[in-house]
Amino acid sequence: MSTLAASASASGAPAVAARGVEKWYGPLPAVRGIDFTLAPGQFLTVFGPNGAGKTTLLRMLCGAVKPTRGAVSVSGEDVAESDAARRRIGLLSHQTFLYPGLSAAENLDFYARLYGLARRRERVEQALVSVGLQERRADCVRTFSRGMQQRLALARTLLHRPTLVLLDEPYTGLDPHAAAMLRAVLERLKDGRTTVVLVTHNLSQGLEQADRVVVQVAGRWVSDEPRAAVDAAAFERVYTERVGAAA
Amino acid sequence: MTSLAAEPHDPAAEVRASSDVHASADVHAFAGVHPSADADPSADAERDEADSMGAPFLAQVWAVARKDLLLEARSRERLLSMGTFAVLVAIVFSFAVDPAVRARSIAGAMIWVTVLFAGTLGLGRSFALEREAEALTGVLLAPVDRGALFLGKWLANMAIVLAVEALVFPVFALFFNLGFAGSLPALVAVVVLATAGFMALGTLFGAIAAHTRLGETLLPILLLPLLAPVVIFACAATQRLLVGRPVSDVVSQIKMLGAFDLVFLFVCTAIFGAVMEE
Repeated sequence: MSTLAASASASGAPAVAARGVEKWYGPLPAVRGIDFTLAPGQFLTVFGPNGAGKTTLLRMLCGAVKPTRGAVSVSGEDVAESDAARRRIGLLSHQTFLYPGLSAAENLDFYARLYGLARRRERVEQALVSVGLQERRADCVRTFSRGMQQRLALARTLLHRPTLVLLDEPYTGLDPHAAAMLRAVLERLKDGRTTVVLVTHNLSQGLEQADRVVVQVAGRWVSDEPRAAVDAAAFERVYTERVGAAA
Repeated sequence: MTSLAAEPHDPAAEVRASSDVHASADVHAFAGVHPSADADPSADAERDEADSMGAPFLAQVWAVARKDLLLEARSRERLLSMGTFAVLVAIVFSFAVDPAVRARSIAGAMIWVTVLFAGTLGLGRSFALEREAEALTGVLLAPVDRGALFLGKWLANMAIVLAVEALVFPVFALFFNLGFAGSLPALVAVVVLATAGFMALGTLFGAIAAHTRLGETLLPILLLPLLAPVVIFACAATQRLLVGRPVSDVVSQIKMLGAFDLVFLFVCTAIFGAVMEE
């Protein structure tokens, strides 16, 4: 077990805890009154239609967006205040957070420097091999297809070996082969110490690895069930009804 | 909340089967991205311990500056636009100034006006490149000291503007028959100190302007009034050196520029974190 994971579990704190989290943009609510905790190693999938506030929730979990009310902690530390908490988080977003003018290797090297990673070159090389981009290491990200950029963004997300991985529609832009690669990565992340929050509106992809399944509509959680208790066909029907009713 | 009926099947088995079908050697390579359960635990722990210490402040400053300079070395877009602008302004001045006027007596002001506008032109781009693919969000999610981020951007901006100044001074010397030979070390000190203050405020206001819809219009309006003291001392010192006054005549200006730099750098580094907030 890693030092970070060990220290977190030793303290008994949940991997992530959200307490009464709300986000308002002026008079418009994006996320309303969400409370939950996740234990280390849990895999949560958040389903919801466009505009449900899923991305806003994910951004509050990683500290990129400040909640209007409530607080988020990662391994017991306030995500807004703590460098240690930020070091534990990896976010794969709609945007890649990569510099199009730098090469694949330079992008990863930059992030490795920011995180102060040991054996930087080795880690960057390993990450490039992992996403099958070692042949394109010296090429500008600007020349990459959307799917290749998404793969490199995945390597960036996992480069510092976060214990909380937040994935916002990670399958977007991936071809079937790359999607299979991503599925395999997600499977490997189920190592008992990495907590994953996956946000998607694709029911079949979202149910694959989940331990816990949530439906978010208009900023609220309208369903929260363990995966084992979820019947895929019934879930699809209820999801459609819920989303339809909310719309 | 809704309760959903259970279905008697094993989703994990489905996933494994699906992965086996689709994933090839690449799947095994992914183990390198994240440590697998069967990896050497002592090596893991050793590496994680080193990671958890994070990057030292100066290493973070260098990482940000290096990245900006690499981007500029690739595109050369700021150097080219600023350099072209500066040369064009010098040409315009060379035609506009009355030949009866002793150019040497106003060259200092002309040079600093040129540097000021060329520099402001490049500052807008400094944060524009952070907005592409939302890279700045990725940087802010990393455990990076906001002061280190500011100083890294400042350092890169300094290097780029100093490179433009290395072009501006010889061009003006050529057009207006100026000579710097006797006062070069003092002139270099004035240029470096004035540029440091200019870039400290410029980097901060560049970040503020990047968050607004009217950023590029707003930047000079916010920046130029606050730069007045730096410009006044830089112009005065440059002017005196160009007309052949001894270095001792500009010591007080150099000291004032140094003092402004310290204040600007301290204040801007301290408040940059607040500027970067959501």
